[in-house]
Amino acid sequence: MLLLFFAISVLMIALILLMRNRTFTIIITTVYALMHVILTLHSWINLDCTELRYFTFNSTGVLLLSVLSIMTIPTIYHGFIYAAGDDTRKFNIYHAALIALMTFMSGAYLANGMTVLWIFVEATTLAVAALIYHDRTEIALEATWKYVFICSSGIALAYLGILFLGFIYGREDAANLSFSSLAFIINQANPMYLKIAFLFVLIGFSTKMGLFPMHTVTIDAHSVAPPPISALISTTLMNVGFLAIFRVYSLFSSSSILNFMNSVLIISGTLSLMVAAGYMLKAKHLKRMLAYSSLENMGLVAIALGAGGTGYYAALLLLVLHSLAKSSLFYQMGQLSRILHTFKLDDCGRYMKLYPAGALVLILGMVCILAIPPSGLFISEFLIFKGLVFNEQWFVIIVAIIPLCYVIYAMSTRFMHISFSNPRSRDAIAPAGKVSPVESVSQFIFLGIVIIMCFYQPPFMVDLINKSIEFLPK
Amino acid sequence: MIVYLIVLFAVTLVYFASAERLVIYIRLIGLQGLLLCGISLFELSEVNTANLVFIVAETLVFKTILIPYLLKRIIATSGVTKVHRQAMPGFYLLLLSILALLASVILANSLINPFVKTIYMTIALFSLFTGLLLIVTHKLIVSHLIGFLIIENAVFIFSLAVGNEMPMLINIGILLDIFVGVLILGFFGLRLKPHTNELTMLKD
Repeated sequence: MLLLFFAISVLMIALILLMRNRTFTIIITTVYALMHVILTLHSWINLDCTELRYFTFNSTGVLLLSVLSIMTIPTIYHGFIYAAGDDTRKFNIYHAALIALMTFMSGAYLANGMTVLWIFVEATTLAVAALIYHDRTEIALEATWKYVFICSSGIALAYLGILFLGFIYGREDAANLSFSSLAFIINQANPMYLKIAFLFVLIGFSTKMGLFPMHTVTIDAHSVAPPPISALISTTLMNVGFLAIFRVYSLFSSSSILNFMNSVLIISGTLSLMVAAGYMLKAKHLKRMLAYSSLENMGLVAIALGAGGTGYYAALLLLVLHSLAKSSLFYQMGQLSRILHTFKLDDCGRYMKLYPAGALVLILGMVCILAIPPSGLFISEFLIFKGLVFNEQWFVIIVAIIPLCYVIYAMSTRFMHISFSNPRSRDAIAPAGKVSPVESVSQFIFLGIVIIMCFYQPPFMVDLINKSIEFLPK
Repeated sequence: MIVYLIVLFAVTLVYFASAERLVIYIRLIGLQGLLLCGISLFELSEVNTANLVFIVAETLVFKTILIPYLLKRIIATSGVTKVHRQAMPGFYLLLLSILALLASVILANSLINPFVKTIYMTIALFSLFTGLLLIVTHKLIVSHLIGFLIIENAVFIFSLAVGNEMPMLINIGILLDIFVGVLILGFFGLRLKPHTNELTMLKD
């Protein structure tokens, strides 16, 4: 099945680029979305099975693959709307790159070894570069350049981490550096090697996860990326970065460096929170502010992982719910830009009057992403702090809560301003555009799921999360 | 022979710290490619011939010829020939470079491993630190690129250290080369104009 999925994806990309027909591209992309859903169903049925030697449908991978599958249809739908005004060549490149990105992310989720995972992460950079450069403007070139350069540096550093894992093993039969083969030798390895490998992997894959200090790469990318692509970069692609770090963390958790890893993750997480809070107060660009919100959430995920105990469950739950809530807000940005013709916060206002459905998405999305009850994210953040209290990490609690308060203030004041106040800027603003409320349906569904998760978490998801963390220390 | 080539490689790294003209940087990058080609030829004695030919050809084609050629074209299109005036003076950079060499020696000696030769570890770490230093202390994106290429060479040396046992790791490292050579330098680098040399449009 997996071979078929990869082969058909490559064929679809080639056909889209060769045929140069808009209707054909729309049909192919829709078929791809359905194929992705089928792959996810197949992975659920064949949980823990290995295919093509290098891929395993393990619980964490399947969980994140399911999130990507859920997001595939709305992302493609909003992509059709976004790229509708483009010429056929740009339209086709956009969709070919989108299919490539989703395929590479799926491969990364299911990879059962470090090297294959690394190859797919490297490949996502190529696809994202093509998507960020979609508008072909000078600012798009700058964002793409920064993205490719910093991601490549991160990928090189992550590869150094993988090489350190190779030094630990040093045998030909471990060429794939599969997680299962490494698990047997971790306890005999030199702890110094493990620490260095973990640091390289954390810094390297932070370019994808968007953690401090490599967060700048995704922030700049959001400024110019089409909104549906921002939705993917900010959610499923960050999940890829998390997964790479989580795999290494899980692998090393039985070794003597567990406390070291937890400390590093907590430091990185709290610094991410502080940077996010500072820049959210300063941000003048709506999409950049949302990107800093993603940095804040990834900071919380890192803290959750570092806290251990209930934090492990909270980290995975937060990833799933953040993906749904944040993607809704980014999809909405596409509609907002067509109505207000800007992302500048000073030029935004009266959104409730101009597009009530969109304003409602903004307000609901704000409640969800800030983890205010009845948002499901409240449960995950509650569990994170429960874990920190259990460990008596009072300093971390204080350091985390203060920036969180700033984040709540920054985001709520700005979203309320956009929805209900007049624009701050007195300059002439272009007449408001028209958007059908139907376009917001997918966002209401996603936000509805996030809210329902506050009261009821489906057993199949809970089982999958528990299975992902069963080998981590209690 | 390998030891001489590795020492020469270390000398090129020290030279990076004192050079100020970008054309010197490019020559040094080309020379490093040639040295890496020699090191792989002598070191990878246990790898099968086809794989060895592929690795040596890659270092020659990409590292020694294509990447320096693309860098020259980037400098020609951007019109910048010297490192930025606000970059850290060469003397301080040289001092930091020597400190990096010392740190590499100490770190490599504390990481002795039966699978890895210490000399490889030392030079790879030194190369990594030099690349990071160039990125941090210079302002022009061309300098950043060169810093990145040095880091990439560090990755290549690291992979050579376990190359005989795990040749797949070298081949994957080569993927990174192709990725950088074609995408970063070939596609985006050549689109940079003199006024986009510092990239400051995107900020809060």
